[in-house]
Amino acid sequence: MSTATTPVSGSKGTLRRGDRNRLIKIIGVVLITLSLMFPLAWMVIAGFKGKTEVLRSPFQFFPDMWDPKNYIAIIQDPQFSRAMIITFLGAVIFTVLSIAINSMAAYALARLDFALKRFWWVFCIMPMFIPGMAILLTSFMVVSQLGMLDTLAVLIIPGVASAVQMFFLRQFYLNMPVAVEEAALIDGASRWQIFTKIFVPQSAAVFVVVGIGSYMAYWNAYVWPILTITNPDLTQIMQFLGNFRSDRGNEWGLLMAGSTLAALPTIILVLFFQRYIVNGVRISGIK
Amino acid sequence: MHKRRNRAAAFAAAVVSTALVLTGCSTGGGGDTASGTTTVTFWQQKFEDYQGVWFKKYVDAFNKSQDKVHVDYQVIPADTWAQKLQAAQAAGKQPDIATTNYGNIAAGVVNGQFAALDDYMPAESFSDIKENVSSFVTIDGKHYAYPMLVEPSTVLYYNTDLVTAAGLDPNSPPTSWADLIDWSTKLTSGDVKGMTIASTAPDLGWSSWGLQYNACGHLPINDDWSKADATDPCFDKLLDFYKTLYQGNLIPQQPKVGYADGSPYGAGEVAMMAGGSWVIGQLKNDYPDMLAKTMVAPFPSIDGDQTKPTATLGGWTLTLDSKSKNPQAAADFIQYLLAGDPAIMADFFKAAGYSKYTVRTSVDEALASDPDASADPFMQTISEKVVAYGKQEPGYPWDVALAFGTAIESAMKGTDTVEGSLATADAAINDVITKQGLAGTAPKK
Amino acid sequence: MSAITPTETITGQVAGVSPGLRRRRAQSPRVAKHLRSNRTAYLMIAPMVILLSIFVIWPLIYAVYLSFFKISFYKGSEFVGLQYYMFVLQDPKFWNSLVVGIEFAAMVVPAGMVISLLLASFIKVLSKRMASFMKVTVYVPAVISTVVASVLFLFMYQDQGVINWFLSLLNAGPVAWLNNPGTALPAIAVPAIWLGLGITTLIMLAGLLDIPDSYYESAELDGAGFFKRTFYITIPLLKNILLYLFVTGFTAAIQMLDLPLVMTNGGPVNATTTPNLFIFNNFRGATPYATSFSLTTALLLFVVLGLISVLVFRLINSDKAVDG
Repeated sequence: MSTATTPVSGSKGTLRRGDRNRLIKIIGVVLITLSLMFPLAWMVIAGFKGKTEVLRSPFQFFPDMWDPKNYIAIIQDPQFSRAMIITFLGAVIFTVLSIAINSMAAYALARLDFALKRFWWVFCIMPMFIPGMAILLTSFMVVSQLGMLDTLAVLIIPGVASAVQMFFLRQFYLNMPVAVEEAALIDGASRWQIFTKIFVPQSAAVFVVVGIGSYMAYWNAYVWPILTITNPDLTQIMQFLGNFRSDRGNEWGLLMAGSTLAALPTIILVLFFQRYIVNGVRISGIK
Repeated sequence: MHKRRNRAAAFAAAVVSTALVLTGCSTGGGGDTASGTTTVTFWQQKFEDYQGVWFKKYVDAFNKSQDKVHVDYQVIPADTWAQKLQAAQAAGKQPDIATTNYGNIAAGVVNGQFAALDDYMPAESFSDIKENVSSFVTIDGKHYAYPMLVEPSTVLYYNTDLVTAAGLDPNSPPTSWADLIDWSTKLTSGDVKGMTIASTAPDLGWSSWGLQYNACGHLPINDDWSKADATDPCFDKLLDFYKTLYQGNLIPQQPKVGYADGSPYGAGEVAMMAGGSWVIGQLKNDYPDMLAKTMVAPFPSIDGDQTKPTATLGGWTLTLDSKSKNPQAAADFIQYLLAGDPAIMADFFKAAGYSKYTVRTSVDEALASDPDASADPFMQTISEKVVAYGKQEPGYPWDVALAFGTAIESAMKGTDTVEGSLATADAAINDVITKQGLAGTAPKK
Repeated sequence: MSAITPTETITGQVAGVSPGLRRRRAQSPRVAKHLRSNRTAYLMIAPMVILLSIFVIWPLIYAVYLSFFKISFYKGSEFVGLQYYMFVLQDPKFWNSLVVGIEFAAMVVPAGMVISLLLASFIKVLSKRMASFMKVTVYVPAVISTVVASVLFLFMYQDQGVINWFLSLLNAGPVAWLNNPGTALPAIAVPAIWLGLGITTLIMLAGLLDIPDSYYESAELDGAGFFKRTFYITIPLLKNILLYLFVTGFTAAIQMLDLPLVMTNGGPVNATTTPNLFIFNNFRGATPYATSFSLTTALLLFVVLGLISVLVFRLINSDKAVDG
């Protein structure tokens, strides 16, 4: 912020106003935090409740007794740690591949001029509008014929090219200043160099945003893993948690504890990467 | 320039080849292995946890007992069962053996989905099946499924503490719908509702079959499935009954769980419950304190006549896929698990807390010698007063059931009048008949 | 950076910025024609195009082909032409589900975007430490799976849940939120907004941080309040992001399945039966008819989503997004 806009007079009046602003901000932060975190806190706390206690009416926030047995049971279940590790591994590979493939396509579609560009743009964006249910049977037939069933690949490859992520990256690349690119071209740089040397380094923040999106999409996948994975060694975390659900009585306490533990790696990742979401994400309309 | 472009090419190639390498690490699937063991796959739809434990125990025992057939056992969550099965069928990866409920057998046979078991299993196995249940799995004289159990869809549960406190006699439970509404009214106080019953169309679609028979003696379609029959005035009374329960605030207005889950009753939030017999198993496992103060009775009847059906006998069977490459091996497993040693099935009913009912005479005999079974307070009432009058689940497409469930729901929630709701359902059922070509396809007994 | 000086008025700025950008875009294309780079471009889109072809486009073509049949995996499929398309189009429940889906999206998307924009604007003015904290706070709820969120909100809406407890303090209620045709859809829209808030706010924030402070400072000097600044500076400059968020939010919302499935099962009386729930319920039929019907419904939903999106692209953006 430039100091020119906020006249600093040093008088008591402005100081008090500054304090009041700060107070309002703190109150705002606290209120927003509480309302956003309430459901999350409830999930964590419900993990301490007994199977029948979670459902109880009237609504009760805290358990009768803080009993960590659900958490302990989940942590001690070797299937859980195996599912966490294999899902995490898959999610990381998925995210990296997804960023690589989608950003390349996004760059080409945003910054390059080539034959049939409009056709390819529609081709790449169209999958966004295809309901999963429309191609559920036929895409299963495809992966089955490719011999991909029961491999990590079937979880990763079919979803890695994502119209949504490509669309986001493209909107971002559209707004990078033309000047830089033109200067580099005059200096004899190739398009590929401009992409890897200029665009990619500037994409850290936007890669974090789409990367988290890809990671979460992989992490929360439920139907597709159930369709394609039967090998217990490859069981995904949402498949594991699905075991606690049934029409005839759910294991609520275990489900909540499991969901909490399953969310931890993601929360840690968000904590780690949040600092990359700072200035310089050129997705606004400014050149 | 060239070099740089090549780098782009190299990178693209690297990405694609990574994809291919990942694809390559495929493991081969079942079938015959070199060692002479035949592998058959078995998918079980997920139910109560104790069922999974029982299945696992006996699959392992079967696999250990011999070295010719290996059963590969998978539990599939109920919410994705249909998708998983259809996708697998589309790709030719369907299991050799699957759990199938009685209601889906007829349609599956029409579609050529199941193999007749008579060709692979000894005749004694079929003569052991109780006669009424045998008809559930028989089409044109052939058995297309081996039944495992029956569970009546609707039984009345009531909390004797609350009933006594309300000045009612727990030993003479309501027998007619009017009585039930009277009891519900008296038992509704404060946050405790008198009653709970299904209230969303998908739940009502199947859970009300018994009461549809009770009200009218028939379902909302005629016997050869050529015409809808939902506007029969006797259905008005059925819809009125549900409507009174809902609009009179006698049942929870926003149920937390579906009809099949008895936890609101277990937690004491309602004094009475319409529920399947399986809820007994849930109470035994999750709400043991509630057992001592719970009594069961046949669900009340439209006019108090308790010999009229109030429930359909739902339940599960194992079916053999008609495209199975190893039908004999698969049938051997079905024979072992469901039709062999009665002790295996007796163990199942014990694990289920006697909340499900046998389908074989020999298993009944095995249970007769089990003191726990004969001492069970619920078992006798349900098997003598409910199962005895229970009807078979209809084999018509789910759309018909859903159309009628929607009619009940719209009358309950007041989005249409009783007559209007039934007229809509009637039209919808006729539409299903035309589009799906149902006329004359009703399975012959 | 920008040519705008603090002395210009707000309207002057807008008049100066937008047409300026527009003109520049129109006059100097991002790449000169003689620099067409077919080979590099094709190599760069190749992985995406190949993967989409194998795993999305081919399955789609095959699904369209299958939709002309009454599909049976056992007895062989029977060619029926456009019969299933007729069946779906004649089904009032299909149209009802589309209306529900569109209504749902109309509640979720604009509300979600407005709340996200306000949150992002708030986070932007915070100190660095508080801003880092808020970025995490806003995002973390998104890690909850839809199923858990559905269950949780289901409890909150109970007769004796938190929300009715608040109402009782005001001597009102209880309201059967999920079982009243008027309130059920808005009631399930709330968790949908809540779930989408994290990523939407982060994207908005990223965009906001990119707008030079000088724009706002000059506007502030001219006495423009928060809303004026938002309308005349932020929104026009965030057009690209807003287009992205709108289109993706809309397609996601209209395809919502888990929330109504867990919370209302589509009720009361189909008031919350979204297109995907309608398809899901039909899929359970396990007959060749059900398979074909649900497949065809899904394909028609694709057509509807595609048409709406083309419309949105045409209306909102125009030159940039479509011409590319």
